[in-house]
Amino acid sequence: MRLEHIIRTIGYLFLYAVNLVLYLFLHSHFHFIVLVLMTIAPVLSIVSLLVLKRYITVELNVASGREQYGRQRDEAYFLLKIGNKSLFVSLDTKIKLEIGNSFFGTKGVQQLSVPIHMKSGYEVELPVIATLPGILYMEVQEIRIKDMMGFFSVKKSLDVHTELSVMPQSLQEVSYEKTAIEQGMLESEESSKRGNDFSDVQEIREYIPGDKLMSIHWKLSAKRDILMVKDRVSMSDRQLVVLPELCNVDITGLNAILGSTYSLIQQLIQDKTTVRLMYWSISRYEYEDLRIDYQDELDQAFVKMYYETCYGNMDEAASHMALVHPEMKAYLHVSADKNGVNIRVRENI
Amino acid sequence: MSKKQDTIENVVVCQGAVISNRLFEKQENRLLTLLLKGFIVYLLAMGSIGFYLSSFNIGYNALLCHIVILGMSMFCAMLYYRLLVENLGYFLLLIVFAGLVFLFGDYINSGFYAIVNITVDNAAQYFDVDVQRMYNERIGNRYVTVTFVALFIGIVLDILLNVYVSRRMQYMTAIFIIMSLNLIPLYLVMEPDLLYVIMMLAGISMAVVFRAGKHYSPQVSIKRDSRVFKVKGKKKREIEYVYDVKAMLQAGVWSIGVALIVATAVSTVKPKENFNVGYQGNKYKEISMAAASTLLVDGWSGFYRKQANVGGLDSGKLGDVSTVYLDHQTDLLVKMAPYSTDRVYLKNFVGVQYNPYGNNWTNIENVKAYDGLVATQEADAMKNAYEEGGTDTAEAVMEIRNVGVQKELIFYPYYTQDIRFDKGNYYMTYYPKMKGNTTKITPEDYDYQPYIDEDLYVPEENREAVQRFIMELGYLGSQDEIVEKVKQYYQDNMPYTVRPGKTPRRADFVNYFLDENKKGYCAHYASAAVLIFRYLGIPARYVEGYAIDYGQILDGELEENIKYQDFYKGYSELGETAVVQINVTDADAHAWVEIYDKEKGWYPVEVTPSSSEEEDTTAFWDEFADFMNDGDEDAAEITDGQANFVISDRLMRNVVYVILGVLIGACGIVLLWNGGKKLSFVLQVSRADINDKLIMKYSLVTKRWRRKNKEFANQINYRQQIEWLVGHVILVNPNAQRERVEELQEKMIGILEQAGFSNQNISEEEYQFVLKYMKFDNHNEWI
Repeated sequence: MRLEHIIRTIGYLFLYAVNLVLYLFLHSHFHFIVLVLMTIAPVLSIVSLLVLKRYITVELNVASGREQYGRQRDEAYFLLKIGNKSLFVSLDTKIKLEIGNSFFGTKGVQQLSVPIHMKSGYEVELPVIATLPGILYMEVQEIRIKDMMGFFSVKKSLDVHTELSVMPQSLQEVSYEKTAIEQGMLESEESSKRGNDFSDVQEIREYIPGDKLMSIHWKLSAKRDILMVKDRVSMSDRQLVVLPELCNVDITGLNAILGSTYSLIQQLIQDKTTVRLMYWSISRYEYEDLRIDYQDELDQAFVKMYYETCYGNMDEAASHMALVHPEMKAYLHVSADKNGVNIRVRENI
Repeated sequence: MSKKQDTIENVVVCQGAVISNRLFEKQENRLLTLLLKGFIVYLLAMGSIGFYLSSFNIGYNALLCHIVILGMSMFCAMLYYRLLVENLGYFLLLIVFAGLVFLFGDYINSGFYAIVNITVDNAAQYFDVDVQRMYNERIGNRYVTVTFVALFIGIVLDILLNVYVSRRMQYMTAIFIIMSLNLIPLYLVMEPDLLYVIMMLAGISMAVVFRAGKHYSPQVSIKRDSRVFKVKGKKKREIEYVYDVKAMLQAGVWSIGVALIVATAVSTVKPKENFNVGYQGNKYKEISMAAASTLLVDGWSGFYRKQANVGGLDSGKLGDVSTVYLDHQTDLLVKMAPYSTDRVYLKNFVGVQYNPYGNNWTNIENVKAYDGLVATQEADAMKNAYEEGGTDTAEAVMEIRNVGVQKELIFYPYYTQDIRFDKGNYYMTYYPKMKGNTTKITPEDYDYQPYIDEDLYVPEENREAVQRFIMELGYLGSQDEIVEKVKQYYQDNMPYTVRPGKTPRRADFVNYFLDENKKGYCAHYASAAVLIFRYLGIPARYVEGYAIDYGQILDGELEENIKYQDFYKGYSELGETAVVQINVTDADAHAWVEIYDKEKGWYPVEVTPSSSEEEDTTAFWDEFADFMNDGDEDAAEITDGQANFVISDRLMRNVVYVILGVLIGACGIVLLWNGGKKLSFVLQVSRADINDKLIMKYSLVTKRWRRKNKEFANQINYRQQIEWLVGHVILVNPNAQRERVEELQEKMIGILEQAGFSNQNISEEEYQFVLKYMKFDNHNEWI
């Protein structure tokens, strides 16, 4: 029993006692009615509380009609719907809301006090701003319902959960070593146009309709009397691997890594460049490799990435690259230090 | 409080998640909540008034009171809409209130006195006491005056309860306010009508429930805006709703329902009419009743004035008493056998010499000229007549025991012939003179000097005043006619009061009474009458003692063990009665005049007017009315009928003035308020740049639509609002061309977003475009 309830109960008992004394003293019909009312009312109030506890339901959803993903620093709407089939009403129901970001591992508790209407309940749309990307979740673990006369409150435990994937905020300009990539891209494209191909041959296979004529291994085709093609790993493929470090030692750093990675890939796909997003899954101990050509693929890739567990070493993903992907010559490594985010072309050695 | 406190910031829940302050932009129709709280105030105020009046079964125009008090409750509750409205509203209320008092002071005052008199009447019946202190109601129609006072109290209660209920839901204080006076009828075993019991209980129940719910305060901020939610606590760990009219209404219905059902059920099972059947009472209440009775009869002074009142009534001292306080304690225990319905005088002090400016009478015992003259010749004459078997003669014995007065004082009836003392009692043998007794008591027969010069002496200092008085009397006539004229003059012109005020220093008691004050109690009338009679040649004396009325004799306690014959022999106007013991209290203390007639001897004359006490003009409302020169002229216009609601023309005119005044005042305030708001808006628009100008004008349109449509109120940005309006207003028109409409819609949204969010100003053409199309009621532009 809380202090508030104790004080209220004492106050009520005092009033009851005063009325009882007046009744005994005056023996008035009026005070008799008041006594009966004062005896019945708390009982009714407690009954209403128990009925309410039984019939109250809670639903929590991301508000429909909004976008599929949330956007960092934009408002996201959660719809809290409390159902009440009973005829009783509560003027003070407290809902314990846990709100957090599961990717970053942050959370906080906010209490929300609402009324409960008879036969309908209550609905409220909560606008939440995610200041970090990741999975923004909201949970209702318990509600506390107070009776109409304020003597008691009962707790109802619940496990209602909803979440929203929040994409990082797009940056206008991402600073990284463009020259290396652009230079490499240009060289590759120019060589290809000239017919000189500096790329390494990965394997030789039979021609599949759609293969470029430039890839046909003419000498071998003549020998085998069947069209064979040289399957190459192009320079551009190797250069457009983006590898973010999911290191959460510093939340600001991780936020910057995600923001920069997202914006970088966004810029690249806007330039019609195919990007491979690779990140290190510490739980599976392998790289997740996702090809991204469009915005949707980028968002889906990030949603997938948000369910990974972050780690504590800022060089964790890069440290496994030489061993797991020795064929990779270079990649774009996104990390952060105390000076901010670093996007560098990293040789795979 | 600074304005900054009105701005609610985002609530940071944890790193990465913030509850947006947009949550606090959601608004509630606060007016409905205020009206609901006003309804509680109405239930309490009207319930309380109806409780008291219906308990005493006092008639008044209940319907009018319900309507006015409900309206006033709602008005008071709505004052909390804005701080400015509150201040202006209370100011207006004060003016109206002062106006009502100014115009209807007499009605209100009379209504108060009517209620007090009815209460005192009922209390006197309950305590079985005689209460003299009734207030004079200038206006006799209680139906009208009580209605006025009910409205007056209703307004006061509305204002008071509004402060405690609307703002703080302090039901304890509300209970104290509405119940404190209502304990009076309950104490007197008077029960109210069920309707008012239900109203009060419903009001209190609602206040209890709302207080428990904790969401009733209008003060979200200094501006008293209508936000649905607010942040609680410094740490902002709780967001709570401010109020919710739907929930409050439902809780209110529950409260009223439960109060209604319980009160009705209890009254059905155990009706109030036979609730106390078989109840024996309790000793504590009986103890309190003695104190309550004293309070009723003597007021608060009864608790500290324990000495019997003796001022001027057994010592001949005059003028030192401002107000006569009575303790109603027994002064004398008198045993006698009733024989007549006439008043029985027990005299003690006989004043012969009046001492002007000394303001007292010298007792006959201290007048040298009377040495050796005081005799019992009149009693002897009566005794002889009785012994000779004269017509209507009798011999009676009276036993007196001094209880609350000095033991050495002797009070005796007229024609006492013998006094005998025994164990603290004294027994007097006397020969009562009844109407048919024509015994003559002439000095010649009995050889005595009946009076001396002092019995005809009027002091020089009093002659002018007495002369003026006699001139006003006009033709006088015989001795009996003189007595009658003086008595009638007193009755008509010099009202009786127990609060005459002290005679001022250096003023003469009689002169001040005759010339200036012209009101007083028995000592005033008797003293002046003695000098008046003397001036006219009638020997007269001033007498103090006790006067026992026949009613008191009837209330006496029957002494069954005493034989009637031991106390009374001879003729009795009442036939053979029985011996009774009478409690003579200080309320029976009296002063009167005795005059001499050569055949009747000295006999008592009553000149004091009956005690229909004329009210002093010391009451606030009277003084107020006097100050405002609002005299008694209305009083005569009111009929005395209790059941008829007859209102004079002047009253009707005043009512109309007040209603018109209130209406004009209210309209003026509304016009000023709205005009001020519009003027302020126009000024702001004129100063704004083109972007702000457009947004301000657009906000007017959305405000109107928000009021018109609840669904529209949920559209929070320009796009949603325009799309909703286009979808619900324009495209429902069959002539609308969807493509064109959508094109216009997109252009409009673009311009608004630029005006609202961009630093770049829109063009005049764009401004005019939006102005043209944002009137969604006019479809012509869109189609």
